[in-house]
Amino acid sequence: MKADAILVGAVAYDPKAVTIWEGIREHFLDQQVAMDFVLFSNYERQVEALLEGQIDVAWNTPLAHVRIRRLTENRSISLGMRDSDRDFRSRLIARKGALTSIQQLEGRTLAVGSRDSTQARILPLHFLAQAGVDLQKVKLLVFDTDVGKHGDTGTSELEVLNAVHAGRADAGAVGDLIWVLEQAAGHVDSAKVESIWTTPPFDHCMFDANPTVSKEKCDAFRRALMAMRWENPKHRRVLELEGLKQWMEPREEGYASLRAALDALA
Amino acid sequence: MRPAAAAVAIDAGDLPLGGGALALVRPALLLLEPGGALAIVSSNPALEDDLRTWCKVEHHEYLGVEQGRHVLRRGSLSVPTSTSAEFPAVADPSTGFAPRGVLVEPGGPIYPYSLNDRDHVAPAEVAELYRQAVQSQWDATRDIPWHTIKPLPEPLEGALCQVMTFLAENELSALYVPSKFVSRIHPAYAEVGMFLATQMNDEARHIDVFLRRARLGRAQSVSSVTTSQSLLSLLQLEDFAEASFLLSVLGEGTFLDLLKYVEKHSPDEATTELVRRARVDETRHVHFGLVHVRHALRNDASLYGRLEASVRKRAATFSGAGGVPAPIADALTILAAGGGDPQAVRRGHDAFRELMEAMAENRVRRLEHAGFTPSQAQTLSDLHTPNFM
Repeated sequence: MKADAILVGAVAYDPKAVTIWEGIREHFLDQQVAMDFVLFSNYERQVEALLEGQIDVAWNTPLAHVRIRRLTENRSISLGMRDSDRDFRSRLIARKGALTSIQQLEGRTLAVGSRDSTQARILPLHFLAQAGVDLQKVKLLVFDTDVGKHGDTGTSELEVLNAVHAGRADAGAVGDLIWVLEQAAGHVDSAKVESIWTTPPFDHCMFDANPTVSKEKCDAFRRALMAMRWENPKHRRVLELEGLKQWMEPREEGYASLRAALDALA
Repeated sequence: MRPAAAAVAIDAGDLPLGGGALALVRPALLLLEPGGALAIVSSNPALEDDLRTWCKVEHHEYLGVEQGRHVLRRGSLSVPTSTSAEFPAVADPSTGFAPRGVLVEPGGPIYPYSLNDRDHVAPAEVAELYRQAVQSQWDATRDIPWHTIKPLPEPLEGALCQVMTFLAENELSALYVPSKFVSRIHPAYAEVGMFLATQMNDEARHIDVFLRRARLGRAQSVSSVTTSQSLLSLLQLEDFAEASFLLSVLGEGTFLDLLKYVEKHSPDEATTELVRRARVDETRHVHFGLVHVRHALRNDASLYGRLEASVRKRAATFSGAGGVPAPIADALTILAAGGGDPQAVRRGHDAFRELMEAMAENRVRRLEHAGFTPSQAQTLSDLHTPNFM
């Protein structure tokens, strides 16, 4: 790989990360854009590497994106996101008939995901508090799995679903994507579990470039990324693995709630 | 069927999204053209948020809900394309194994089919030939009166064993050659592959009966280098039309005369019957070969030159090989003689010479039938392998 190749960081949350990034690299080469990737074991290390200029671009979770924006005083360059990253919501699911409103959560057990999962922990709790639920009175059943991967693996969300199915929790917080996809795959027993509440929308992952990366590199990255097509068999394989149908232009307004939630936690 | 409706309405009762509603929603969307509207009447309170997310994932547009009536607009991403119910002129390798006439989701993997055009691959008659082939299958154990076979005196026993072994050896190549092409044929022309499957099944049965007959005689037979060279040159063919021409029209065509000869001079009822049945099957293979080659020639005039070049190239392999492989020439002579008596052998030799003449005449006739001029047919026939196949 040439020295002036764009170096992209991604977190290896699953062995498929290698397949995904080799596929994207091949597509970039087809587009005459030299790119290589580095895999990290956690987002904290990746954020550090981006800030130190060891990588040009990082494929970041919302939590990592908000941190980068903050640490670069908004000088980082947002390059693109998945269609599925826009208007993400969290769902409050409950044992069928156990609760009719979120106010009834007080005194009950609420299953939540990893402490660094935006969709299964940070934002659902933030939005519940905003809606007037006194979280001090809610018993949390915590699934702190794969900490450092910011909820990417989805294991903590599946644990939450299992806990509610099995009656170990009265309610649980999961991302709407996993809730709907698990339903579409026939994995949700609608006689046992139902959704009772939906959070406001927020945005999810983002490609962040170090502020010093040249405009040419940023433009080349964006152009190659946006050229991927769902109807192209080679692209489709990668897009399916990465959980999207189409790459989208970046936008910042979808991260306001996460910034507020992190401020409140600080 | 192409998606056509502009609007569809369904009643989803109180079904949750993953508890049955999708099983109604997804097929209904297939009826719509992109941009078409789907109305879903539902009393399930969670459906609104679930549909909204599901629509986002699937790139449909959720337009809203009013009095329990949700409306969404079908997106234009991943709209299945319709495929032809008839043999298409050109077949798309990304439709994989999807049967003809179904709707195919876009973005599937590209299959490595190389026979993707009707003009070279799929004559219209093939479906009927397949049907006939299926109806004409027979049972090697049940349909041959094996009990009529008695030990024969030498050299007749040896000659018969040699002839049966030679037939089996050639039929093995006729099993292998079509098998090379089946996986290259696009499934839009599935009937061609299915016909070849019946042909291969026929060859398997012929190999079985010829070898059973040969082994009952307990005599030693020989495989000649001429036969081996000839069959290798068939196996090495990479063009389907050339293979049909060389194997079925020229090779199996010539075999029809050979089988008729063996049938005529057969020493017992079982041998007569198994050779007769094999000949009926081979007639079908020759018929397909002729139909295929004529179809391809009609659509591609340059094929004449390629077929002729292919025959010439193959003939170069045999230059200096002499005539019919000696073991089979001798065996056919003794078979027609009915034994080793010199007077009878003279008659056997005459019969063998007549066979050669009949083979050449019929080959020319078949070539003319395939679409060659009389002089082209004569040239190509003269260049045919001394091995018959």
